[in-house]
Formats: sequence, structure tokens, C-alpha cells
Amino acid sequence: MKIFRSLIIIILVLSLFVGLAACGENESEETYAPTDAPAETTVALEETDPTAESGLQGEIHVYSRDASSGTRGAFEELADFEEQLTDNAILTESNGDMAAKVGADLLAIGYVSLTTDFAANNIKAVNYEGVEPTEENVLNESYTLARPFNYVTRAAGDFGDADKEALVAAFIAFLTESVEGANAISSAGGIVDVSSKRAWADLQADHPVVSQDNSGIEIVTVGSTSVEKAIRAALETFQPMAGNFNFKMSHAGSGEGPAGTVGEEKDTAKKGDIGFASRAFKDTEEVILGMSTGTFCLDAVVICAESSNPIANLNQSQTAAIFKGEIQNWEDLD
Amino acid sequence: MNRARRRKDFFRTAGTWASAGLSVLVLISVFVFVFSRGISTFSFDMLTDNYWATNYLLDIENGEANDFVPPAATDEEKYFSRKFGFSLVDDIDKENNRLMVVESMSALSPLHEGIIATAGSDQGKTHPVPLGARVRRIDYTNINGEARSAGILGQDSSAAKTIERLEIEAVSINGLFYQTTGGGIRGSIISTLMLIGLTLLFALPLGVSSAIYLHEIAPRNRLTSWIRAAVEMLAGVPSIIFGLMGVSMLFRITSLFGINTQSILLGSMTMTIMLLPLIMRQTEEALIVVPASLRMASLSLGASTTQTIFRVILPNALPGILSATLLSISRIIGESAALIFTMGTAISDNPKISQGATSLAVHIWTVMAGEQPNFELATAISLLILVMVLILNLTVKLLTYRINRKWQV
Repeated sequence: MKIFRSLIIIILVLSLFVGLAACGENESEETYAPTDAPAETTVALEETDPTAESGLQGEIHVYSRDASSGTRGAFEELADFEEQLTDNAILTESNGDMAAKVGADLLAIGYVSLTTDFAANNIKAVNYEGVEPTEENVLNESYTLARPFNYVTRAAGDFGDADKEALVAAFIAFLTESVEGANAISSAGGIVDVSSKRAWADLQADHPVVSQDNSGIEIVTVGSTSVEKAIRAALETFQPMAGNFNFKMSHAGSGEGPAGTVGEEKDTAKKGDIGFASRAFKDTEEVILGMSTGTFCLDAVVICAESSNPIANLNQSQTAAIFKGEIQNWEDLD
Repeated sequence: MNRARRRKDFFRTAGTWASAGLSVLVLISVFVFVFSRGISTFSFDMLTDNYWATNYLLDIENGEANDFVPPAATDEEKYFSRKFGFSLVDDIDKENNRLMVVESMSALSPLHEGIIATAGSDQGKTHPVPLGARVRRIDYTNINGEARSAGILGQDSSAAKTIERLEIEAVSINGLFYQTTGGGIRGSIISTLMLIGLTLLFALPLGVSSAIYLHEIAPRNRLTSWIRAAVEMLAGVPSIIFGLMGVSMLFRITSLFGINTQSILLGSMTMTIMLLPLIMRQTEEALIVVPASLRMASLSLGASTTQTIFRVILPNALPGILSATLLSISRIIGESAALIFTMGTAISDNPKISQGATSLAVHIWTVMAGEQPNFELATAISLLILVMVLILNLTVKLLTYRINRKWQV
């Protein structure tokens, strides 16, 4: 009987070690590595024709974001393959997650925001239609994988408070016309042409509401999560310049922006004073009803690959073919 | 015992040992994981700080350039402004944003003479820039008398560039915009407590009274057993369905009180319905444990049924009801799905009953849902939640032990 008991103890200790090893792995970044990535890539590399020396060979690993991502929606629309993403695509949870995974996979291709730290994630930006993704090229419209960050406010007279309405108007002016607002947006990664803006000191005269105590007013923003960082920076900068008003950011997706301000949810629990979308508004979204609507900055989507990947440029048809799964191997790309 | 028998027994016992070992292992690894990740962020400041930074816009009078002597030990990372007598260091916050922080100030630095420029009750009060302030923008006047800005909001990417620009261009500094640290969970702790208080206020009287009715007063017929079965079934409904019900049905009730948004009240009403089965069940268990002899003694002394219930049975069932309360509290602390719908996901530093806020669990959801998930803060909150639930459960164990000893079960 004693032998059995010691046997049991040995088994338990062994399973403990296996378990500990597994949970050790849990804590490293490795857990996030996709398990569905094909394992036979090295074999593919050896078997294929070695004559094409310069190009990379092997199966293309397509990385994408989950379906709720505004970045994914914008990218699919701009590269014209909406709803046609290949089933083999590996889905990532966030911009940072995408960058980390693509940086760890030589055969990967993915897309991130221009604000991503490319060097730290071991990824490189791929030119699109021969144009390098830079802020200048986005602003002069030569780089076309760019999307607008749009806003819409509630309808005039629908704020329930005249001071709040004036304050929202002042914030929109700050956001779209002032140097300070543009600097705040650009510090948070938004692409905006600061040189065309005016100092807030010049604009302030049109908005006397900012020189009174507004600590009893709360502005609620709803809509896209992609704009959250830029809007938070702008609101935090504007808050002490406009009588310490309060703000509440309740962002859950681009669709909620117009819906919560001028759409069917404008009088429900999801209502907001300013709604945001990280894409162009749709025809069904009646943003014309709002007191004001427009674009406050741009964001670029950048196709990225692991930094030692020789790929330098992709055009629209190649991009769409890769993400649709029509081009499956790096050597098929020409 | 023959050999085959022994082998059979061995495998059976080994199976139970292995399962038990595995469960313990999983539990330990959860604790190890949360502790190792969360303990570095966990601090008293985190508990008391606001989540949202406070933003200060200051006017600086007498901000003319001077000649300050840098402190003796300045290393490479600190950048000292000889003109204005303060030094900045670079830093990165948990959401990967670049920051510059005031590291030191000379005694006569103009930064000590900030005046709050924001309209409101504090306007015009002096407010020295504190050490550790996260400087966003420094407004200065250049040699041509033009107003300019330095700092992150002046498109300087680092402390070195900011100080360099001030040293070269600035004649005087006129204003400064800085933020406090933020990133704390004070607001979510308060809203969790408010949620617990309100929910218990609604759920305890309802749950305890219904349990008393079902166990003591209701006739033992088919209807009663149906009611009991329905309550049991309610306990198995996923919480997200309660959330949906809350936001579509209970929302109309809170609207009657003029609350037209997701609110702590709505969250607590939803939690009340979720907790009713638990409280009823636990209270009934406590009533069952009260010996029948007590009831009979009370009735035979001439007390009415109502007197017996409220004077004899209820006081004796109190420890059981208390443990039901504690279990409810840990359910409230752990709930997230129903609260995302009913209380919203916007973190509030000054939660009000009529407004949305996040409980600690939903706070985790919110910081993890953004483009830059804040893993450190999320695990630190998990640590707090684990410790709270552990304490509550230990208290329940203690109470149960004492009841059992009391009735010698």
C-alpha cells in the first residue's frame, strides 16, 4: 500500500510541474501567439523554388482585427474588399496586439494605425500605391488609406440647457479651428494640419460661455472607440480653458455616435451631446439634423509586415487579393 | 485484498487525488498570476486617486527669465531650465502616452507663483505647481513679443526639446497647463459601495420576507412548490439576460423618477432581481436549521404565529441571513455583464445614484476594452476584488461554523 501512496505522490508532483510550466507560459507573451498559424511554414520554405532569391517565400499569414473594430471597417472599405476577408485570417484584439503579433511572424501581413510604435514592435510600414504613409502624405491626400474622424452634435435646441449648447459649440470651435485643439489631437496621434488653425485667444471672443463657471455642466461624448484618445486629450485641454465643465466619455462604437445624438437612441440611456465616428457617416445617419457636424482629424491605416520582410509596396488590387485569400503565398506576389 | 482489486482501488483513489491536485493548482496559479502582475501597480495612492486627471491651467505672473543655478546632482535624464529654475524628466504612462514631469524647482522659480486661470470659484487663487506635475504645455513670450507654446501640446516630443526651446527662445513664461496623475479607482470603489448598499436595501427585505412566507406561512401545497421551483429557476438565468431586462424594462421605472440614463439605481434594481433567489434560498436554509422545538415552545406559550416568526425564529435565523448578505455582496462585487448594460462603462470619479458609473469589475472591462489595454491596472483591481471576496467568504465560513455549533448539528 505504501508503494502505491508514494506512486500517487510522484504522479501528483509531476502533474504539478507540468501545470506550473503551463502557467509560467501563461504569464509570458507567448499565450497570445495564434495557435491556428500553420506550423509547416519552414517546410514550405525549403520545398519551394530557390531561384527567386530576393522575394520572401511561404504562405502569407493574414492578420486582421475583430469585426467590431472601426479600423478594420475602414481598411476593408478603403482597400475595397468589404465582407470578403479570408477565413484563414488570424484575428487580433487591439491595435497593439496586432502590432506585436505581426512583429513576431516573418510571414505575416496586417494593418495598424499610423500612430503605432513601429520600431518597438519590430514591424515596418508598407507603402500603398507607391506612397509612403506619413502625416504629410495623408494631409496632401496622396496616401489614400486614410479615414476621417467625424463628429456630430445634437440638434440645436435639443441640449436641454442653453449654456450646455453654447459650451458644446465652443468645444467644436476649439476642436476644429484652434491651434491648441489641433495640438492636443496631434499629441494623441490624430493627423491634423496645425498651420491652418488660429489661436484660441482669437476665437474665444465668439464664445463668452467659456469665461463663466461651468462646473455644473456635463458634456457626454459617445461613439467610436478609435477617437477616444484624441477626444480625451482635447477635452482635458479644453476643460480648464472653459470653466472646468465636466465630461463623460461613453464610447462603444462608431454606430452609436450618430444614433445617440441625432438618431433613434438620442433619448435613451445611450444618448450623448457629441457623437463620433471613425469613418464617413452613412446616408442613413441623419447628421444634417445636428447643430454642427464635420471632420476634426484624419487617421491613416498602414499595412505592416515584420521588419525583415522585403516587401516595400502594395497596390489596391494586391492588398484586396491578399486579404481575400486569393494570393496565398509570398512568392505569388509580383 | 487481491491484486486486481488493489489496482482498481489505486486508480480510483489516484483519480480523486489528481483531480483535487489539479483544482488546487488552478486556484493557486490564478492567485500567483494576479499577485505577480498586480502587486507592482497596487498601492494606497491607486485606491485614493481619481481616475480622470485634474487639469490645471495657470497664469504665471513675474515669469521673466532669470539665471538659476542647477541643483548639484543633475544626471543625464533631467533637463534643467536655467532661465526659469525647474527641471523636467520624460516618462511614459500606463497607456503608453509620453509625459514630462516636473522633477525639481528652485526656491525662486516662477512656477511657485501660478494663479488659477480657469473661470469658476477658484479663479485668481495662487496655486504653486507641485512636484510630479505632468506638464502638458508651457506658454511663453519670445524675443519678438509673440506668444508661443512649448511642451507636448506645443509639439515638443521630449523634456530635452521643451527645455531647449525655452532656453533659446523664451523671454518670459506666462502660463502653464498641467495634469495630476489620475489612473486611480476611488470613484469605482465608491460606486461599488453605493451599488452594494442600494441593492441590499431593496433585496434583503424582499428576499427575507418571501423566504419567511414560503417556509413559515404558505400552505404546503402545489402552488408553493411551484413558486419555489420558479425561484430556483431564476437562479440559473445568465446575468446578461437580467442586464437586458434591466435596460429595457426597469429603465422605464427609473425614467418615472426622471433618471433618463444608465444609473447606479438601475444597476441596483437589476442586481436586486438577480440576488432574490440567492437570498431566499439562503434564508430558507437558515429557517430550516432553527429547531422545531423552539417554534412549538413559543406557540404552546400562547404566542401567535406572527409573534413566533418575528420574536423567536427570525432572531435565531439571523446568522444565516447575515451569511446570505455576505454572499450577495460578493456576487455584486463580481458581477459585470448585467452592470455593463444598466450602469454603463464610463468611469466616474464622483458617482451619483442617478448617474452611470462603473463597479470595480466593470472598471476592469473598461480599461481593457480600449485601443491600449491597461493590463497593470486591470490586474491590480483584480487583486483587490480577490482579496475582498476572500475575506467575505471566510466570514461566511466562520458564521456557518458558529450556527452549526449553536444547534449542535
